[in-house]
Amino acid sequence: MLHEVLWTSNFDLARSCLAHPFVVALGDGTLKPDLFHAFIAQDAFFLRAFLKAHALALARSEDRDTSEVFCGLITGVTEELKLHRVYAAELGIDLSSVVPNAACRAYTDFLLRTAWHNDLGETVASMTPCMRLYAYLGVALAPQCSPSHPYRRWIETYGGREFGRLADQVETLLDQVGADTKEVRDRYRYALQCELDFFSGALTS
Amino acid sequence: MNSLVRNAGPLWDEATRSPFLDALATGRLAADAFRRWLAQDCLFANDLMAFQAILLAKAPRDWHKPLLGGLAALDQELDWFESSAARLQVDLDILPHPTCRRYTDFLMRCAYTQPCGVLLAILFGVEASYHAAWSALAPSGPYAEFIKRWSNPDFGAYTTTLGGLAERNLQEAAQEHFNEVLAHERDFWKMAWEG
Repeated sequence: MLHEVLWTSNFDLARSCLAHPFVVALGDGTLKPDLFHAFIAQDAFFLRAFLKAHALALARSEDRDTSEVFCGLITGVTEELKLHRVYAAELGIDLSSVVPNAACRAYTDFLLRTAWHNDLGETVASMTPCMRLYAYLGVALAPQCSPSHPYRRWIETYGGREFGRLADQVETLLDQVGADTKEVRDRYRYALQCELDFFSGALTS
Repeated sequence: MNSLVRNAGPLWDEATRSPFLDALATGRLAADAFRRWLAQDCLFANDLMAFQAILLAKAPRDWHKPLLGGLAALDQELDWFESSAARLQVDLDILPHPTCRRYTDFLMRCAYTQPCGVLLAILFGVEASYHAAWSALAPSGPYAEFIKRWSNPDFGAYTTTLGGLAERNLQEAAQEHFNEVLAHERDFWKMAWEG
């Protein structure tokens, strides 16, 4: 299966994300709250671009089954954005005036360029790593998640069954609409690299 | 001076001067650095072609002639890039450097999402900063052919036309995007120099 080949052959980057100081500190609960707040704000900016990429992919879908899967995924991203709004309200973050940092801008420009300009297979290949990586990180961090963990809700969301189901869905879609081409491999790997850079950006902003 | 250039402040100099160009002009540039730059600039020009084509499709009638002229010139430039790369045995079937990619992803995202006044300011930034960077160099040494190519008066006249059109059609986000172009230009020269 294409999605397995891509995940396995790029697993070095997924492992680097799990070992990234930002993710390590998020997992053991020592991450400074102001860094988490800044990360949530950047992530909300990213998710708005992610949502648009889904909508563009939906517009490109030729058959009803694919369209329905995209509708489900769009609902999933919308739910994720709602979670960010809850965080933002609790933490006093203004999500409407987020200025993206360089890593966030590079990632969202890449996603939107691909979704507007390139084909559906490449678009799904650029969207899949985000879903699979966060499911992977959520599951990997879950054993450290005590009831009093400061980032429990974040870990439970991404390590949860519902998010894992969405990641499975987007991977199934990638198998259906993507081909094993140089471009698809490149988009998948670059998206994972953007994820890694995103954590670095969150640590320095 | 064009108001977009004037209001960009120090970014203009940062985008149009670089150790890479200084070394190129004095003939001390390492061959590897030149080859790296050539391959990445060719990848960039390919996406710039798509950007300019989308801008043309959105543009009002009175912009067509300069934009079509720009597209035809870019087509010739791509021919020239490809023949230079073949002559210097530079492989063009490579992945873009992340810096090149960030620049072209920005251009393509804007092409689809920004109004044409903003796109014109972007194109003016790309072309005028490139022309200014090369025009500052004395056309001599092993890379004289390249310096002459991008400092020639026809290219200069084209950038002046674009600048005039951009100033007459300024939109709110034009300066912000013009400045972003300059930041990408600065980073591109840095990438060419440092790898």
